[in-house]
Amino acid sequence: MAYKYLTEDIIKKIDEYRNKFPYKEQAIIPSLHEILEKYRDIPEKSLEELAEYLKVPLSHIEGIVSFYDMFRFKKNARHHIRICRNLPCHLANYQSLLEKIKKLTNADVGKSSADGRWYIELVECIGSCAIAPAFLIDNDLYDGSNLTDEELKKILEKYK
Amino acid sequence: MDRIRERLGLPNLPEIYVESNINLLLRRAKENRTVGIEEYVNTGGYSALEKALKRMTPEDILVLVEESTLRGRGGAGFPTGRKWRFILMNPKPRYLICNADESEPGTFKDRIIIERDPHLLIEGMIITGYTIGAEEGYIYIRGEYPAGYKILEYAINEAREHGFLGKNILGTDFSFDIKVYRGAGAYICGEETALIESLEGKRGHPRLKPPYPPQWGLYGRPTIVNNVETLSNIPIIITYGRYFMNIGPVGFFGPKLFPISGKVERPGVYESTMDITLRELIEMAGGIKGGRKFKAVFSGALGVYGEKDLDIPMDYSPKGFGGTGTTIVLDETDCIIDSLLVIANFFHHESCGKCTPCRVGTYEQLNILKKFKNGTATKKDLDYLKHIAKNIPIGSICGLGYSAPQAIVDALEKFPEEFEAHLEGKCPAGVCFK
Repeated sequence: MAYKYLTEDIIKKIDEYRNKFPYKEQAIIPSLHEILEKYRDIPEKSLEELAEYLKVPLSHIEGIVSFYDMFRFKKNARHHIRICRNLPCHLANYQSLLEKIKKLTNADVGKSSADGRWYIELVECIGSCAIAPAFLIDNDLYDGSNLTDEELKKILEKYK
Repeated sequence: MDRIRERLGLPNLPEIYVESNINLLLRRAKENRTVGIEEYVNTGGYSALEKALKRMTPEDILVLVEESTLRGRGGAGFPTGRKWRFILMNPKPRYLICNADESEPGTFKDRIIIERDPHLLIEGMIITGYTIGAEEGYIYIRGEYPAGYKILEYAINEAREHGFLGKNILGTDFSFDIKVYRGAGAYICGEETALIESLEGKRGHPRLKPPYPPQWGLYGRPTIVNNVETLSNIPIIITYGRYFMNIGPVGFFGPKLFPISGKVERPGVYESTMDITLRELIEMAGGIKGGRKFKAVFSGALGVYGEKDLDIPMDYSPKGFGGTGTTIVLDETDCIIDSLLVIANFFHHESCGKCTPCRVGTYEQLNILKKFKNGTATKKDLDYLKHIAKNIPIGSICGLGYSAPQAIVDALEKFPEEFEAHLEGKCPAGVCFK
């Protein structure tokens, strides 16, 4: 079967994970991470392909995707902003950071911007409470304390 | 710039404040860089491993760890030696898992060890593996730490190349290897049986206990699950031997990491012995920000402490602070109800849904606190809140359910006037009713 989403390099990685761990189910979460890394979100069709390739029930994979917060279905945005809303960031007023980011990106929480560049999500503690309010853009962590509008603009410009 | 992080393609990780008054766990971790294997070995690293493998039997190490009074640093505070003793009764193969799923609100101590001094953890794991008779170890790291994952993979490779991991370590007949597994954003996976389920490639639902992991763990085999900080203590215990019992107060020997955040001058990770009090710890972090007045401390999501508790020690005694050491400081401009609402929202979001009292109870809790915040709560709601808070732990099988109402219970006890004021439509800090 020819795969649309499982490209050669992803399949190579999946094989690596299958060899690394004794059970094939253990390759599911690492493989989903690879898919997430490549497509930024989880395309629904890719789950069918992964189930086919790993020979595990599709329902098992769907169960995993719905359980873990990091796995999302396709939202058509290139960059994913995750802002922490837990207590230390709440005390550091993440809301004002969120408002600034909303204004600069034209995206909203749970909604991508019209140009498909940004998607904003509020998440639970990301373990960066000393630099609260902390936020992640894709895989990069940023310090939201004492962040000026200019600096924020510069950070956002790095992500096309 | 950092050579290792550069090679791994990691952007500069944000600078945070790290301070220690004993220099044990954070000895190499004060600067914002990753310590490679050469530097680690040159500063005395892996000498504890050599001492353990060549001059000590597993029983020697176990007795030493028992005497060290080391307790689990992941929050529960269970004596590590007793846990290890427990697994020795069960047959091989046994497994070791390092719990690096640090997701407790306000907790960021393990990531400092992982990102800055990963070999300390790896060395601790090898010695632990030798002690409990395990040949395979896993590190379960949370999905939100992509940098930590890459650094651990890199450090494990380094250790393998230098012969500290793999077959016949240091020429002995002991073999051990470590694999890293990434989570994907679920607080519940920090609970040890849920972590095992997740590591086996399933949804992270906790198992019914007993049997406990030392009897029935990963792949149904005896398994030890230990926190990053706990395992990082092991090389220090081996190095210091009986002198370890000179560090800190009797019964609670050894270093402890305290992640401090919220309204303090210098939020960050602080290392100290456990005889330090909450007040001294806040002073160590520069005191309350802007010279305001202290109001409360949230210990992650697990407890609330008021002005009267400022002189409790940060140890694991019944009156002590205990837990992960997480300290989130609130000042007079913060509202207790508003903060509880954030915590309640967190538990509602993170409850896995296996036990109905937790799944529904966390939702009810959240709704009542929302009423308090917008000013529609009545005396009846307060009674109902107390009722729920009592019943969630009774009806749940894991630590998340046990601790879900803990902050509320503590706040009801220590800040009853806040609840009363909100019932009367007043918010002492002026945060709510907007």
